Amino acid sequence: MTPRTRFSDLSRRDPERLLHLEPADLPPLPLDTTAPSRPFPVTRPIADTVAYALDDTRALALPNPKTREEEDELVRAFLSGMEKLFSRENNWTFLQPLVLSMEHCAHCQTCSEACHVFESSGHAELYRPTFRSEIFRRLYFEYVKGGGLVSAWQHGSVDLDWPLVARLAELAYRCNLCRRCAQTCPMGVDNGLIAHEIRKVFSQEMGIAPGELHAAGSMLQLKAGSSTGMIPAAVKDNVQFIDEEMTEKTGTTIETPWDVEGADILLIHNAGEILAWPENPGAFGVILNAAGVSWTMSSEIAGYDAVNYGLWYDDAQMARVALLHVQAARKLKVKKIVVGECGHAHKALLVTADRLLAGDMRITRESFLTVLRDIVMSGRLKFDPDRNDFPVTLHDPCNMVRLMGIVEPQREILRRVCPRFREMHPHGVDNYCCGGGSGFAIMSGSGFRDWRSQVSGRKKLQQILDAFSDCLDPSIHKYVCAPCSNCKGQIRDMLAYHDLWKRHGILYGGLVELVVNAMEDVDPGFIEWEWR
Amino acid sequence: MATIELNGRTYTVDENGFLQEPEIWNDDVARDFATTEGITDMTDEHWVLVRYLRDYYLKYGIAPMVRKLCKETGFRLAQVYDLFPSGPANGACKVAGLPKPTGCV
Repeated sequence: MTPRTRFSDLSRRDPERLLHLEPADLPPLPLDTTAPSRPFPVTRPIADTVAYALDDTRALALPNPKTREEEDELVRAFLSGMEKLFSRENNWTFLQPLVLSMEHCAHCQTCSEACHVFESSGHAELYRPTFRSEIFRRLYFEYVKGGGLVSAWQHGSVDLDWPLVARLAELAYRCNLCRRCAQTCPMGVDNGLIAHEIRKVFSQEMGIAPGELHAAGSMLQLKAGSSTGMIPAAVKDNVQFIDEEMTEKTGTTIETPWDVEGADILLIHNAGEILAWPENPGAFGVILNAAGVSWTMSSEIAGYDAVNYGLWYDDAQMARVALLHVQAARKLKVKKIVVGECGHAHKALLVTADRLLAGDMRITRESFLTVLRDIVMSGRLKFDPDRNDFPVTLHDPCNMVRLMGIVEPQREILRRVCPRFREMHPHGVDNYCCGGGSGFAIMSGSGFRDWRSQVSGRKKLQQILDAFSDCLDPSIHKYVCAPCSNCKGQIRDMLAYHDLWKRHGILYGGLVELVVNAMEDVDPGFIEWEWR
Repeated sequence: MATIELNGRTYTVDENGFLQEPEIWNDDVARDFATTEGITDMTDEHWVLVRYLRDYYLKYGIAPMVRKLCKETGFRLAQVYDLFPSGPANGACKVAGLPKPTGCV
């Protein structure tokens, strides 16, 4: 590992990255060490493609100013955006917790050991959750609060220049926004929120955001209807294909209802499920039909894709997409919106949108977890839990569990249908992020996939392997239940990266698939033990 | 945008190595991009998948569901991975000259 990073290093102008990790720097995984392991970090010379490199990867395509004047212009834009963050008119979402997080850090570092990125990097100072927060805090006291000698003495200072601003932008994308640090802070300081607010400055004021989240993400969703690029005709075509597959597979006729006015429930999936994991929306259809629920899907723009990437980096984009979701529900006059297996959509539409929706826009919104729990426990469906006679462990998506406190419904379901369910440790609200949170799961360029498979996801991988330590034999099929598309994608990528399906028989999937796999009234074998 | 030189030809690619000008795609381009995936010999099986992806993309503007790809070409997903080690989205789509799939897939 490179030497301990200092704040002043962020202003360095030499081509060396500030942090370079070697495999020996990372905590060992409980894996068979005779199997070949993936080299890390990538050998691609990041420093050749980025002016002021941070570490072994990069999330952003930053501007490359040629003169000091151009640099100063960018720094001024950053400061202007930063000032706006601290005004009520411009930050109607998070001003109060942001100010509290700026003013009340006691520098006790209790949060640091709670951070999976910091721990999994072998305690690299650059990734300490307070490192980026403290830079931002010093800029806040100097430039937003007016600074001065006493302030500099009391709060410390940093040299503000373009290399520092550029590296701070990247550093805002080395935090999963899981907020485990905020949970442990005795003062309630939220480093995850600070990383989020830094991202907002760059996107809202300077137009800088990862391409996967903005241009090919929220912008595509607003235009086509889905960040996958699926237009309404494409999604209906695909769901029809899924219906046919489900009918064939379960032996019961499945027909997804579209645009049914007055239905009790508008179900909105993460549309990525439809393309990549069709058995998930398919299983929803099987359960809702069998339980006799009045439900519908919507073919309005964004009415069929619950994702809201703006949540991770831009409040305006978040608001635009959330309004489309609510409009789709109002048009159909449904009683409520139910969000499928997507954690960040839970946060965006069920929690943060409360800051946005007024009056009759405040339609009832609910998690699929409570709806599913009520169906499973109601006795309306018959189960044969022996069909799920394999080890299952549960990943807790941060946005549903730590943020919203939905802990028991999914466990009641699993205890009912999975006789060999075992917990990871720690779990529930003390869970660890999958490592893909805040958009990382869909970011892969410039070594980002290596970074999230080796560093940000390492703690979760360790938990999964520990949960199955008594049955690692590849002939025993095992199931990681991850009821969130983003988490599921990250876990898929990590299992593939470390070849754990072949080496240890570990597969992954959602929660509804386990429910359908145990339903007596459908043909057995819903879950297929094949890599996907 | 970066450029990449393959077998003496220069292509504009995104940072994941996906072709940025889908309209210039042809069989030679496919062979060139196959080398970036560690595929030295494009077999008939590779071509079946590539042609299916290509046709679907020209019709719908996106990549098909993986499930649909498998069902309509008759390949199991494990076979797709054997042929394109980075998988259908990151491997086969790249060789077929599709843009990198977007969203939570």
